[in-house]
Amino acid sequence: MLDRGDALAQLRDDTTDPGGHPRAELHLGPAEKTPEASSVTTHDIDVTASTEVASYADSDHVYVLTPSIAGGLNNPTAGWSVNGRYLVDVVSAASADVVSTASPPFVEVRHAGTLDAAYKPHDFGAAATAAVSVEPDYTSVMGGATITKDLFAKNLTLLLGYSHLHDIAGRSGTPFSVFSRVLDRDAIKAGMTVVVNRSTVLSVVADVMIEYGDPSKPYRYVPLFAPGVVVPVGASIAEVNQLRVSERALEQLPLSRDRYALSMRWAHRFQQSTLRLDERAYIDTWGLKSTTTDARWLFDLGRRVELGPHARFYGQTPVDFWQRAYVLSPGFDYPALRTGNRELGPLVNLTGGASLRTGLGKSADPRAWMLGVDVTFTSTQYLDDIYLTQRFSAVGSLSLEAAL
Amino acid sequence: MSRCIHPVVLVLLLVAAATGIGCAGVAPYDRGKLAHPSMTTADLTGPSEAHVRAVQEGAMGGGFEAGGGCGCN
Repeated sequence: MLDRGDALAQLRDDTTDPGGHPRAELHLGPAEKTPEASSVTTHDIDVTASTEVASYADSDHVYVLTPSIAGGLNNPTAGWSVNGRYLVDVVSAASADVVSTASPPFVEVRHAGTLDAAYKPHDFGAAATAAVSVEPDYTSVMGGATITKDLFAKNLTLLLGYSHLHDIAGRSGTPFSVFSRVLDRDAIKAGMTVVVNRSTVLSVVADVMIEYGDPSKPYRYVPLFAPGVVVPVGASIAEVNQLRVSERALEQLPLSRDRYALSMRWAHRFQQSTLRLDERAYIDTWGLKSTTTDARWLFDLGRRVELGPHARFYGQTPVDFWQRAYVLSPGFDYPALRTGNRELGPLVNLTGGASLRTGLGKSADPRAWMLGVDVTFTSTQYLDDIYLTQRFSAVGSLSLEAAL
Repeated sequence: MSRCIHPVVLVLLLVAAATGIGCAGVAPYDRGKLAHPSMTTADLTGPSEAHVRAVQEGAMGGGFEAGGGCGCN
């Protein structure tokens, strides 16, 4: 049995993880390192590479194919790491929103890249991240930084992060200099990770995001109805066209939005499995409130195989200005705020899926090469919307990761 | 002048108190289970699935990701 005098325990925190949470890893080795050994480990750099192909399809005739590649350099002894990812989204859509505006189905390509760097030689760490996303009518860039501090012999880690996002929305085929809308976001996160006991870690993160700009979709038209017209939930395109007035208005959303979220992540390691539970509460100044509950149980099936069933519930209330049928008042006054975005209405998502990861490496290190398959199914119930009351969607991915 | 504690700070303090920070810490040599890769506190959701959620749900935020590409109109 190891004790403090026999082992060198080195806890490394990797702040480049997507969620910005510290990750604990334990390295055990001889307590007294020879100068030669120290020299070797100081220059030991781990190289990782991965590729993934993901696809999305739903019952509203939207299809997305997403190939991606990623790579990283990591020196755990020196405490630094650099990671990058590049992906392409190929979107094909003939959804009810597209058809209802008599627009033809479209195919669009999005390019996105992220670059992360982190340095944490001891208890204090800093990380920076940058991301860019480009498509014909939308460009988004982001930059952010996170600092972490370990306390109480690394039983508590505090986190503070800031990021800024700058989005430019336009119309496909029209230069941004002719038409564009700008949306900026400042995001701050603060949190902590607690080592509860030998098998349990708890993480709590609070997020604040301040948005300013016009997020209204320049293509999205909202049908309008005369006073007194009753439009049933799930009314078809034909019914809506029969009931609506000839006037249609472009979507108009508020020009600012403050978002607040509190997330908790609890992870417990059993003998041969890990249970992870997430809970997130959200509220914003548009009046939208939501709750998310996520459970993932990862089972070790031998040294090479890991199976992880996954379940998730998401529910939200509508924004304050949500209406299933917006009324065109006498005098042709459009409602000041109006949207056709059903993701701003009341909805419930139920998700189920599983991941399977298989180690393909040599017996000494089977996880050096990992083949992963993920499948997730989601049923969405739109509780107060026209066109759609339900949508089924599936996301599948096949990935290969290598520690070179 | 108000001396109320912000709700978020209050929650963090309650969590800290409930988990006994600083009272019964786990020693570094006793963290073998915590070192398992599945115990990472990072999100295990892949980038594609995370992007789908950001588009399909109205409560995005907190993620450090550039957006767009919703396939909607």
